Amino acid sequence: MSYAVEVENLRVRIGGFEVLRDLTFKVPENTIFTVMGPSGSGKSTLLRVINRLIDLIPEAEVSGRVVVLGRDVFKADPYRLRTRIGMVFQTPNPFPHLSIYENVALGPKLNGLVKSKKELDNLVRWALEKAMLWEEVKDKLDVPPLGLSGGQQQRLCIARALAMRPELLLLDEPTANVDPINARKIEDVLISFRREGGVTIMMVTHSPPQASRVSDYIAFIYMGQLVEVGPADQVFVNPRNKLTERFLRGEVS
Amino acid sequence: MRDVSSRREAERLSLVRRIKDKLFLVILVVLSMAAFLPLFHIVASILYYGGWTLLRGGLSFLVDTPPSPLSSNLGGIGPALVGSAVLVFLTVILGLPLSFMAAVFTVEYPNTLVARVTKLVCRSFTEIPTVLIGVLSYTLVVIPMGRFSALAGAVALAIVMVPYSYTYMEESLASIPRTYREAAYSLGLTRPRAVFSVFTRIARRGILTGVLIGLAKAAGETAPLLFTIGGLRHAYFNGPDHPVGAIPLLIYEFALTPYRVYREVAWGAALVLIAIYLVIFVVLRRTVREVRM
Repeated sequence: MSYAVEVENLRVRIGGFEVLRDLTFKVPENTIFTVMGPSGSGKSTLLRVINRLIDLIPEAEVSGRVVVLGRDVFKADPYRLRTRIGMVFQTPNPFPHLSIYENVALGPKLNGLVKSKKELDNLVRWALEKAMLWEEVKDKLDVPPLGLSGGQQQRLCIARALAMRPELLLLDEPTANVDPINARKIEDVLISFRREGGVTIMMVTHSPPQASRVSDYIAFIYMGQLVEVGPADQVFVNPRNKLTERFLRGEVS
Repeated sequence: MRDVSSRREAERLSLVRRIKDKLFLVILVVLSMAAFLPLFHIVASILYYGGWTLLRGGLSFLVDTPPSPLSSNLGGIGPALVGSAVLVFLTVILGLPLSFMAAVFTVEYPNTLVARVTKLVCRSFTEIPTVLIGVLSYTLVVIPMGRFSALAGAVALAIVMVPYSYTYMEESLASIPRTYREAAYSLGLTRPRAVFSVFTRIARRGILTGVLIGLAKAAGETAPLLFTIGGLRHAYFNGPDHPVGAIPLLIYEFALTPYRVYREVAWGAALVLIAIYLVIFVVLRRTVREVRM
């Protein structure tokens, strides 16, 4: 089996506080891998190490080895790396100064992934369809995204990430600020996208039910430490660690 | 009995409250009028006196050269208008790119020494009396060149302007929420791309305000010009390395003379100056929409 992400002895300190302590795990290719854990356990930081957005926090000290899509992230060019890794954030953050269309088109256009306007149009439509948003916005592609509901904005952000044709898609609590119906839609988007193959999805969530609905693999992180990692069925049905069991029962938060 | 007295008490209290409320309102209105009156007075007198001058002079007031002190002919402010246009143009070319790049740099690399020094210098330069900046440009430009010039004036104006433009631009860029920064970088954008294709466009309104403040400073400041441009009353423009006139300088000089016609010209020039401000502000504010976040 080959892996999209390999993490070895990863430690992160931010301002003297140990956010991640000695993490080691592997994310198999073409799966949905969910990182589960209570708020403040370092899950978001983990995602930001994988695509080097951690660089935006100058006081962060990182050690260990992280190999993503066959490249050592700390030796790779972060900009090139990020063109292969999409990311969706906890708060929907479509660019407010661009139209719906331009939000999706921005990445491919500025990175020179398309050769013609026609190709770009097709790509934007494809991404919006994959994000199950096309039907809702096809008549207002040139309006700013702020008129959309929170859930629609989040799906727009997913489309923006998908338009880059990422090999790895990172999602940082994508449904935390979204109503339940939109949350389900987003889960459906992920599951159907995974089914097509060619992409590995790594999602962070603090909700065990959500993790159980979408995941192939689950890692449980608590206070910056990896408590348990394994196939989703096994972690849910037969957790090896008492702490995992208690978290699944809703006793740890 | 008790009921009645407590009701009376309540009524009395509510009356006191109502009076206090009205009193407070009156005080507020009076105070804001007091703050507003001088401004109103300035604008009204400029409109009134300047209006008469413009009515008398007509369009040729914008084109002609100034009158001689005792002439009955009004003449015009053509040279000063041209001089101001040249000064604004040169100042903008010198100052705006500098302010903008400095703002981008300090926001993108906030922890570097250069960024910290830039920020500190700009913050303190807004407090320096502008006449001193005129003297500085006199030393740096006028003396080595051997004469007053538009360029020396533009250098002084640019030094006055940069801290203001910079501050507005820096604040608007720095206030972009981190989540948009992360979104831009997560698409694989390099830093220049992210800055120029995303961040500066999100912050466009604040950057525009910086530009406007810069233009206003360049067009309206008088003190930096005293030791630098030399003044040019009866010719229009001889090149950027030669003396020029300027509207604020003309107002300053003419208003201090005892000649009636000079004062009339000064009023007219003041009205033209205000009109220029107004046009710049209205046009730019209407064309650049704010980004709602």
